Amino acid sequence: MTTADVYLQQCINGLSLGAMYALLALGFTLVYGILELINFAHFNVFMVGSFVGLGTLSLFGVVPGAASLSGFMLAAVLLGTLLVTMVTSGALGVAIERIALRPLRDVRGPAAMITTIGVSYVLFNLVLLVLGADSKNFPTPLPSVSFAIGGAVLRLREILIWAVSLVLMGLLTWFVQFTRMGRAMRATAQDPEAARMMGVEVDRVIIMAFFLGSALAGAGGLMFGLYYNFTSYIIGFTAGLRAFTAAVLGGIGNVPGAMLGGLIIGLVEAMGGQLISASWADVIIFSILVLVLVFRPSGLLGRVAPNKS
Amino acid sequence: MKSRRRVLLAASALAGLLLARPGLAADQVVKIGIDASLTGGDAQSALLVKNGAVMAIDEANAKHEVPGVKFEAMVLDDGTATAGQYDPAQGAINARKMVADRAVVGAVGPQMSGVGKAMAPILSWGDLAIITPSSTNPDLTDPKFAQQYRPAGKPIYFRTVATDAYQGPNMANYYADTLKVKTLYILDDTGAYGEGLSNAFQAQAEKKGVKILGHDKIDPKAADYAAVLTKIKQLNPDGLYYGGVMQAGVKLVKQAYEILPHSMPKGGGDGLITPEMLTAAGFPAAEGWYCTNASPHVTEDPAAQAWVTAYKAKFNVLPDDYAITSYDASLVIIDAVKTVAATGKKVTRDAVRDAIQAGKVKTLQGVVSFDANGDIEDRVISIFQVHYDKAFPQDDMIHQFKYVGVAPQS
Repeated sequence: MTTADVYLQQCINGLSLGAMYALLALGFTLVYGILELINFAHFNVFMVGSFVGLGTLSLFGVVPGAASLSGFMLAAVLLGTLLVTMVTSGALGVAIERIALRPLRDVRGPAAMITTIGVSYVLFNLVLLVLGADSKNFPTPLPSVSFAIGGAVLRLREILIWAVSLVLMGLLTWFVQFTRMGRAMRATAQDPEAARMMGVEVDRVIIMAFFLGSALAGAGGLMFGLYYNFTSYIIGFTAGLRAFTAAVLGGIGNVPGAMLGGLIIGLVEAMGGQLISASWADVIIFSILVLVLVFRPSGLLGRVAPNKS
Repeated sequence: MKSRRRVLLAASALAGLLLARPGLAADQVVKIGIDASLTGGDAQSALLVKNGAVMAIDEANAKHEVPGVKFEAMVLDDGTATAGQYDPAQGAINARKMVADRAVVGAVGPQMSGVGKAMAPILSWGDLAIITPSSTNPDLTDPKFAQQYRPAGKPIYFRTVATDAYQGPNMANYYADTLKVKTLYILDDTGAYGEGLSNAFQAQAEKKGVKILGHDKIDPKAADYAAVLTKIKQLNPDGLYYGGVMQAGVKLVKQAYEILPHSMPKGGGDGLITPEMLTAAGFPAAEGWYCTNASPHVTEDPAAQAWVTAYKAKFNVLPDDYAITSYDASLVIIDAVKTVAATGKKVTRDAVRDAIQAGKVKTLQGVVSFDANGDIEDRVISIFQVHYDKAFPQDDMIHQFKYVGVAPQS
């Protein structure tokens, strides 16, 4: 491999990581934008999403070791699994909001945030107790097709993860910008009181934010499994923390910011591993975060957060 | 101190009472602590180790091996959900639990060196001997670190396995002499075991004239090692060596299969000889990996076949060599209790420790005896290569790790 090939390969590695972080970061940003709440349960909604994806795939008869699919069957199975995973994860997010967070809506201080940490651990331990601690093999319905670009290798699964992330982020942007519900979400993010006075049903907006964010996390979980061929009860924390960093880096509450932040974190992780050392990945990522926050406290693209009244 | 004396007085009074009235005499309950990483990335191999220790205890009870003594296992788990693998902090808690229970006179464990480092000082102050079937970090028994790991003085950390002072260098010899590796890349998982093993391996490889192109650490909780593996692909070393356990190992083996040339020799230590290697990392990814055990290879020894069959019948899973070292560790403790009981003295921790230190016990792997630091005197490193034999189940620990031979001692 020439040096150029290596950098190209690390870009491919980094963009795939970044796409996953971006999907996760969007969930933090959607909820923060509306409630000014950091939802730590999101970490493990992602993890549960990957298990839902695993279960759905096996319902479709795709189990580890089975032959890979192609053409229409592959597309149908993947799309079906993606839909089931997203809806289930979205429903989990809504359930968390209804059961654990709504009762605390009017409580001042960090109570709600601490509750999300609690919920996160409940999910984490439930999966551990029910499904066990060993890492689970994820089936690979994708044929192992890869393309050589110079000395670098681009595999089908990388194209899949980019495509799914791009489409989902495009849909989300369209939803937030051009639909009635999207407008209501933006209005609530700017000023919940005023939005309520103008007739926006804030409860529905909040439910929608949790649903969309969690559905994206579920999609991220499924992509994680397909990409790495495994899942485990523990995957939420490292990915979640980096995605959260991505959201803050881009400007928490800001949808394009979360995408940008995710891509930057992914690329930094891959390039850092190449140029310095893999063990320095976290040091580099969090140093960048600190620097950005010192010089641009509202993140790269600025923060959209409720006005405190 | 005072309360301990009172407890002892009460206990001996009770014992006297029981002895005086043989009609009512119950067996003295002697507990053997067992500590393994039953939660997390090494859960399956922990189970094999735990089973081995339990089996020896059950057999001793069934045979009334020590008259008047009933053995009981106190099984503790040092793996935690938050660590996702072994957790030294939990190991320290477990050591305190063992020390706090006066009926515990000896222990088998821990599985992991990182836990051993947390447990050893507590056990030392508690005067409780522990025999590890698989923790191989040399520091634990090294007199240089006596202040740290046996602050109360006497060695309490014994092993029925050799250490990484042999496992690393002997494998480096094999890489250089047999695999003819001239350049190497080394990875470790940042744990006490992984770091120590890979450093010992690296030192000997350098001594053999092998060029080390890099030594990186991978975060066991991270999912993606593509960045470092791409870097290794670019440097194109003759071989890769990984020091660590399975939480990082599973992901590393899978991703290395996708990124690195399949012809590049890849290997690691006893951290890889686990059911997880066969099922979670799986095939074809694990195919061809070299691994070592810091013990002789016993599970295919004709003399051990009756035992292997009994183990399979009891636990419905095949044992690995560390199930054997664990069984052996239990045997040594039971033998020590027997020796002490035969002299008519009280079975105390101190007496059991001295008996372990002095003992020469016939076990499955041969006669086990310890040097002045607690290390086993026979030090054998066995090399295996993963090779999928479709005639046997995928998680068959005996047939999917092909025995290559004994690693060359320098």
